Amino acid sequence: MILIAIIVGCIVGALIGLFAPMVSYTYSGYLAIAIIAALDSVFGGILATLKKNFNLTIFITGFFGNAILAILLTLLGQKLNVDIYLAAIVVFVGRIFTNLAIIRRYYVDMVMKKIEDRKEKKETNNK
Amino acid sequence: MNKKQIAITLGIMCLILTMGIIIQIRTIKSTNKVVSQSFTSNNLRDQVLKWKEKYDNLYEELQEAQATLEKTRNEASKNTEGSEEKEEALKKNNILIGLTDVKGEGVTIILKDNNSISSGSLSITDDVSNYLVHNSDLISVVNELKNAGAEAISINDQRIVINTAINCAGNVITVNDQKISSPFVIKAIGNSSYMYSALTRPGGIIESFNSYLITSVKESNNITIKKYTGVISSKYMKNVE
Repeated sequence: MILIAIIVGCIVGALIGLFAPMVSYTYSGYLAIAIIAALDSVFGGILATLKKNFNLTIFITGFFGNAILAILLTLLGQKLNVDIYLAAIVVFVGRIFTNLAIIRRYYVDMVMKKIEDRKEKKETNNK
Repeated sequence: MNKKQIAITLGIMCLILTMGIIIQIRTIKSTNKVVSQSFTSNNLRDQVLKWKEKYDNLYEELQEAQATLEKTRNEASKNTEGSEEKEEALKKNNILIGLTDVKGEGVTIILKDNNSISSGSLSITDDVSNYLVHNSDLISVVNELKNAGAEAISINDQRIVINTAINCAGNVITVNDQKISSPFVIKAIGNSSYMYSALTRPGGIIESFNSYLITSVKESNNITIKKYTGVISSKYMKNVE
């Protein structure tokens, strides 16, 4: 059910994106930052699901809050002539990498455990 | 929250995310044709794109404003008596100050830089810059044309209007603040035989150009001159009561 909703959402979103009017070049930087922030919360959400402490409210507020905060910070940076968006990118992408590492470790551990279980089973069978 | 709600919210979020990504990709594809490594040229490119966008928007606004102006004028002339005459007068004035495309008999003059001359083939007293078209050359041609009764003149489709300046800007010439370069096509509407003879008379302006530049003058019965694309506005002058 959830998986179907996600896939349908992705496809419909891509279709709308293909036919939506283009963002003007002035604002495409903000959109990019918002996308990175949203991606960060998506990976955070996946990690939370694996750890079984996923909370939808926190996930949604993180998704939109991070995106809006990143846009506002970029705006502030442009007004102050400081490239704050660089800091935002470093933080978000760094978090994405750590989250990905944890997710990878979780699955690797799972697979290893299964393989070991099978080996043990075989050994017990052989005995 | 039940499973249905979770599924719907997650779907909507995926929708927003993929939409954003696709829009961003399309935007970048349409603008980042040439990716330059250096920071300053990237910045400059950004600036150019932003200004171009602003210019396009403003030009559209101008076009719209002109359309509404035309509409209101039409409506106004319908409503009141005697305003048709005014409408006619307005149209005439617009033609005179160069806000409409016009056509008629006239001459076409083409001035080209003489590229066949190299500095080696010149005598000591001669100067290479004599073989290039300067803004002063264009000004004297325009002067000569006006003197011979030209009613509308354009240089490379830049209409000569009351606030036109023909300036030298490095290795290009600006007319109405637009850069133009060789070959210069000067179109003029008026009595074509007058203008032709005024230009090509012995000792005239074309003869003096001929020893340096590549020139051609043609009479024609059907010349179209485009309208002035800018805005003519006045801020300081007022009617004397």
